[in-house]
Amino acid sequence: MSVVNYGTREITCKIVYYGPGRSGKTTNLQHVYSQLPEERRGKMVSLATETDRTLFFDFLPLDLGTISGFATRFQLYTVPGQVYYAATRKLVLQGVDGVVFVADSQSRQLAENIESLQDLHENLADEGLDPRTLPLVMQYNKRDLPPAEISSVAELDETLNFRAVPYFAATAINGGGVFETLRSIASMVLGRLSAPAAKGS
Amino acid sequence: MATGVKKGAEDDSGEFAEFMADISHEIAKRVESLDPTPKSSPAQRKEATPVPDAGVIREWDNVADRMIEEMG
Repeated sequence: MSVVNYGTREITCKIVYYGPGRSGKTTNLQHVYSQLPEERRGKMVSLATETDRTLFFDFLPLDLGTISGFATRFQLYTVPGQVYYAATRKLVLQGVDGVVFVADSQSRQLAENIESLQDLHENLADEGLDPRTLPLVMQYNKRDLPPAEISSVAELDETLNFRAVPYFAATAINGGGVFETLRSIASMVLGRLSAPAAKGS
Repeated sequence: MATGVKKGAEDDSGEFAEFMADISHEIAKRVESLDPTPKSSPAQRKEATPVPDAGVIREWDNVADRMIEEMG
């Protein structure tokens, strides 16, 4: 998708939070939503099961107002992490500008992290997007759990971050690292405004 | 290249404001140098034809069907 429209003076960026089930994707969006000033707080759409797992996806529109003469909007999505919602993840990835991969730091979840990352790459490729160049940020969540239960940030980064993209440790449940992550991916996406393909429409 | 790790509890106050400041700065840097057209007057801007958001999922009609399919 194009992220800047000089005709209508609009900038729109779609960011998807990807990762295995229960890694904290929805929690990231909930924290962002909780910090929005009243006048910018739209509706966060969230479809969850009775056990609070994301059933389909979450959608949080962020209307940032007019910046440098451009009406600027960020659209934040999550995908359901469970393996069997494969088609949904593909649907949500359509037109994505940047991805935040939310990894679960728990050692026993390492295989799920790897599987989800592979799934992301396959789905991006299916959408005609290059997984090697699409803006991506890694977030290693749940750093507040006991050290014995979680992998170190270095271990996670060594295993998951083979593109050597920016990474952030986070405790999304209390907001730690959430905005740093969002700021990083937003900056990367906006940085691509200089790319010829992003100047169109 | 990894830019490093930032973690820990955050001061919630002003998180969004800081985010806005950074984003505003980033956008200001970009649009000034990239804008291919001279700045139009407000009247001209009104004539621009809005286009739908490319990133918005337009297949809402199929959402329920897909959910049922996947859950089945």
